[in-house]
Amino acid sequence: MLDFLGLVVFAIFTIMIVGAGLGVVLANRVTTSALLMAFTFLNMAGMFVLLGAETIAAFQVLIYVGAITVLILYGVMFTPQTPRAYGLFFQKQTPWGAVLAALAALPVIVVAFSFHDAKTVAPPGGDLNALAIAVFNSFAFPFEVASVLLLAAMVGAIVLVKRESPAAPPAAPLRRSEPPR
Amino acid sequence: MPVGPFGLDPLLWAIVRLLIAVVLVVALILNSSLLLIYLERKIQAVMQDRIGPYHTGPFGLLQTFADALKLIAKEDVRAGHTDVAFFIAAPALVFTPMLASYVVLPFAPPLVGADLNIGLLYLATLGSMGVLGIVIAGWASNNKYALVGGLRSAGQLISYEVPGILSLVTAVLVVGSLSMVKITETQTGPLVNLFVLPLAFATYLVSSLAETNRTPFDLPEAESELVAGYLTEYSGMRWGTMLALTEYGNVVVVCSIMTTLWLGGWNGPGVAALPILGVVWFTLKVYALILVFMWVRATLPRLRIDQLMSFCWKILIPTTLLNLAVTAVLLIAFPSTLVPVAIANWILLVAFIVLLPVVQQRRLRQLRKTLRARTAAAGVAS
Repeated sequence: MLDFLGLVVFAIFTIMIVGAGLGVVLANRVTTSALLMAFTFLNMAGMFVLLGAETIAAFQVLIYVGAITVLILYGVMFTPQTPRAYGLFFQKQTPWGAVLAALAALPVIVVAFSFHDAKTVAPPGGDLNALAIAVFNSFAFPFEVASVLLLAAMVGAIVLVKRESPAAPPAAPLRRSEPPR
Repeated sequence: MPVGPFGLDPLLWAIVRLLIAVVLVVALILNSSLLLIYLERKIQAVMQDRIGPYHTGPFGLLQTFADALKLIAKEDVRAGHTDVAFFIAAPALVFTPMLASYVVLPFAPPLVGADLNIGLLYLATLGSMGVLGIVIAGWASNNKYALVGGLRSAGQLISYEVPGILSLVTAVLVVGSLSMVKITETQTGPLVNLFVLPLAFATYLVSSLAETNRTPFDLPEAESELVAGYLTEYSGMRWGTMLALTEYGNVVVVCSIMTTLWLGGWNGPGVAALPILGVVWFTLKVYALILVFMWVRATLPRLRIDQLMSFCWKILIPTTLLNLAVTAVLLIAFPSTLVPVAIANWILLVAFIVLLPVVQQRRLRQLRKTLRARTAAAGVAS
């Protein structure tokens, strides 16, 4: 009975992920796409919970829903809200997009269906220790490489923001009657 | 066939249990927000030498009930150019993560929704999801005040999450578990974590004030500059859900985290004999912390947006990082005792409090100097 329930939940998550993913690509407005993307990430977190990897699920929601989607929305708010013209401009490339997506999906499908006799490995509850040991012992070097990469990206972002063009107009002078506090 | 409690099928019992829990939590949130709004008004009135609500019911106790009835009975108004779907979805997006947080709060030994192995991480995750609804609310309102409020809250909440989570990690290093129940069980004596990690408590208190949009960090809804921020276009029960229920529900969640991590959760005299007594201790501790929140609100003025950001990135995050590093090193150096950690933390706390005004004044002096130089340069140029 519980196995069957797990299967039903898995099916619901799958339908939600595929449906919301399609919505992300096909929706006309960026905001709709961003929200649907957050929804996809939430459902993927549900998949991780089904697999017994609660920690990964929590990190998935923390990073992708809580940070990245919010940053995307933050960017969307600075863009003008005239969706149709831009949308139609990009819509011309639909056939090419479909061909590329199919090419990328083919190997994934082949690999996915080659697993039909694989055994499911259930972690014995509480994957946090295993994850910590994996990250800081077995995969310490890749972890450090990833953090150096992130640091480089951060320094690059700061340099891009800090660079002042010589032709920039001087900042508006403060009026005498308003001393800075 | 296995039989669960009350002779029910376990599968059916799981669903019934879920329904009961959700109804209980919603009732708890509704009632505690009513009580907290009343307390907020009454306590602020006392601190400002006023009377506060006194007309409806004894001591004005029924005032918030009357307000809630008014909100529920109000017409559902929506301005013409708002974005329908997002406008309606935003209050739910703000409310749901807060509701889900109540699953892991440990009220008493026999009264825990679920003892998740990653309880604290789960709470941090849900805390980071609420900002999505606020940003959507600001965007969907199609109103510049609401948009600026939403943007501010996105920047503020993402920034203050960092010191908040770093403070939590410091406490978790000492306790050695992320499960809320296990964290509570490690602090049975009177020596709770507050005496071991006072600086982490202080930094978490500040960042949780910011994350729940409370004064002095209530910039997303600063009424003197932004009307009501992202709440401008909302009215009726949508407004009630977003402001009253969610804000006070979040305050309760954040204070419960602090109670569990630093004040020993349900532990208190008599709990060993009568476990349900833990609810009383837990509630008392949570409400003591909420009282501090209200006290801060009545005392401090609102910050400016650049002060808010520079305080977070230039002062709070370095402090929490230093605290985390020192705690980790001392825990590895002295694995058997917590005394060195406690001494280091108290020294760091004193240094933080003493140095904070000095650093801020130096920064202000430099800011003034650069601004004067710029003004002088502009004067020469023109």
